[in-house]
Amino acid sequence: MAALPSEAATPSVPIAAAVMAEEPARSRRGWVHSLDLYIPAGVLVLLLLACFVWPLVYKLPPPVGGSILDASLPLGSPGHILGTDSVGNDIMSRLLYGGRVSFEVMFAVQGIGLVVGGFIGVAAASFSGLAEATVMRVLDVLIAFPAIVIALAIVDGLGAGEADIIWALAVVSIPTFARVARSGAVRVRDQTFVVAARLSGSKRWRTNLRHVLPNILPQLITFAVLGAAIVVILEATISFFGYGIPPPGPSWGNMIAAGQQVMSNEPALLLVPSIVLLVTVVALNTLSEALRARWGVVR
Amino acid sequence: MSASAVVPTSAAPEHPQEDEGLRWRTALASSPTVRLAGRRILIAIPVMWGVTFLSAILMNLLPGDAASALLGANATPLEVHQLSIKLHLNEPFLLRYWHWLVGVLHGNLGASLQNGQSVGQILGQHLPITLELVVLSSIVMLVISVPLALLCARRPGGILDRITMVLSMGFLSVPQFVLGLLFVLVFAVIWRVFPALGYTSITQSLGENLRDMTLPALTIALPSAGFYVRLLRADLLEQMQSEDYVVTARAKGLGTWHILTRHAFRNSLIGFITILGLNVATLFAYTVIVEEIFGLPGIGYQLLTGIGNRDAPLVQGIVLVFAGVVVLANLITDVLYGVIDPRIRYGRAAL
Repeated sequence: MAALPSEAATPSVPIAAAVMAEEPARSRRGWVHSLDLYIPAGVLVLLLLACFVWPLVYKLPPPVGGSILDASLPLGSPGHILGTDSVGNDIMSRLLYGGRVSFEVMFAVQGIGLVVGGFIGVAAASFSGLAEATVMRVLDVLIAFPAIVIALAIVDGLGAGEADIIWALAVVSIPTFARVARSGAVRVRDQTFVVAARLSGSKRWRTNLRHVLPNILPQLITFAVLGAAIVVILEATISFFGYGIPPPGPSWGNMIAAGQQVMSNEPALLLVPSIVLLVTVVALNTLSEALRARWGVVR
Repeated sequence: MSASAVVPTSAAPEHPQEDEGLRWRTALASSPTVRLAGRRILIAIPVMWGVTFLSAILMNLLPGDAASALLGANATPLEVHQLSIKLHLNEPFLLRYWHWLVGVLHGNLGASLQNGQSVGQILGQHLPITLELVVLSSIVMLVISVPLALLCARRPGGILDRITMVLSMGFLSVPQFVLGLLFVLVFAVIWRVFPALGYTSITQSLGENLRDMTLPALTIALPSAGFYVRLLRADLLEQMQSEDYVVTARAKGLGTWHILTRHAFRNSLIGFITILGLNVATLFAYTVIVEEIFGLPGIGYQLLTGIGNRDAPLVQGIVLVFAGVVVLANLITDVLYGVIDPRIRYGRAAL
């Protein structure tokens, strides 16, 4: 907690890594003691399987183009386990296909953020001096922007496809990764083993890749999982406001928006996608917390 | 970074016979808190400029312009062209930005392209609503999170602690717009206790105003409270486990609750306030979402409308205010940090 403001959690990330600080890692022996890790990881694997594999194995009704004759069926209807929405599309199918969008965006955005942001952060720390200060000020500017606003504006400009959402959210995600990577790299850059590598004539990129990166990787991965929760929320928020995946294309955000229209008559249409979204975010947050406890990551 | 700190530290040595003003200034210049604040302000200037420039670039890159957005799809190219000339949209981007910047430095934020209303006026009308929302939700958030964190840290692993840990994880994970809708469903549709939409001005009726603000404020406050309970609890526990002063206090025979509230909490407060200040930007981002959901006419709502209408002066003005508030919050945090903990003031203030 003693970190000074310039090193502390980035303001654009609502859930700073700090909050995940649990009591120091308990006994590490036995699977019972790893349940904090296995449960959220298991939930995520199940969700991923359900979204990407289940529709291939088991024939689901299509997520769009349902018949109006089947409109507004309640939960548990034959053939439509979770019922149908007001135009007759199967909710279960829309949830799973919508989940694909969420997870694809999540993996793509955090992948881009990790690689590009990590590179910028490590490079800034490695070059130090004026280059580092300049890069950090530019990142300050990007981070000072409310994330949802910058994402909405970019998606508004680019269009409403999945790839456009990915680029818009990557713009939000890269600076935060760069900041974490830089603060991690600054912490190790003057440690003896890095200095020794440098003095022994190791090239800059080699020092960074072989000595600095492995040391900050746990921190970056924990942050990536934590940020993944935020990306899922942002993607849903963008779609909810109608800037994301355009209806009738399925996404959790626009399912919730559609549920909002009929919430007084059919609250299930609002509640079901909200619960799935919440479960996903909780799983990502608890996983990140467990990883932190395990690797003893400091902010 | 440290080179930009130009406030002289080794100012003229103090002579008792020198005039009052100079002595005062010398004292001020050598005060570490003031130096810290000055350094922060100097760093903030380029950041604030960068934020406005970036938003100007962003608005310029968006396809379509204000003229066609205002006239709608049925406008003829000639009409669009005429309006563009009237709104100076045909001028080069950098020139427009330059005019805007010069205006801002003279205290003139320009006029909204949408209706010609001055941006300063729009901010004056809508900013108070957003600020009220931020203040109310911050109060709720602090009232929930601080006592709860102290109670949890008193008996870690106890019943209250476990319940709080589970609930706080749930609340910090729930997206704002989902929580807002759930509140509307429960308190406006099923129980009809609070209105789902609408806003009553504070001057019309304070009671109605607070009624309208309750759900929006809770929507912002509860997820943040979940976040801060965990933050503060974890830090309190760390203090209680590892710090020498806690051992001393225990050896004196002080009770756990006394040590927590009088010793550990004071130490945790420093980090707590820092994170609180850093997250002010997030708080404002949440108001954009919440105002949209509850139909509150704050500046977040104006911002989304402005982006939709390609209203560059309005968007830049609002972004400038956001950035200014964030910079101000961070400044206050830094200064408070130094005020609370003298070690920081004298020691590593350079960071």
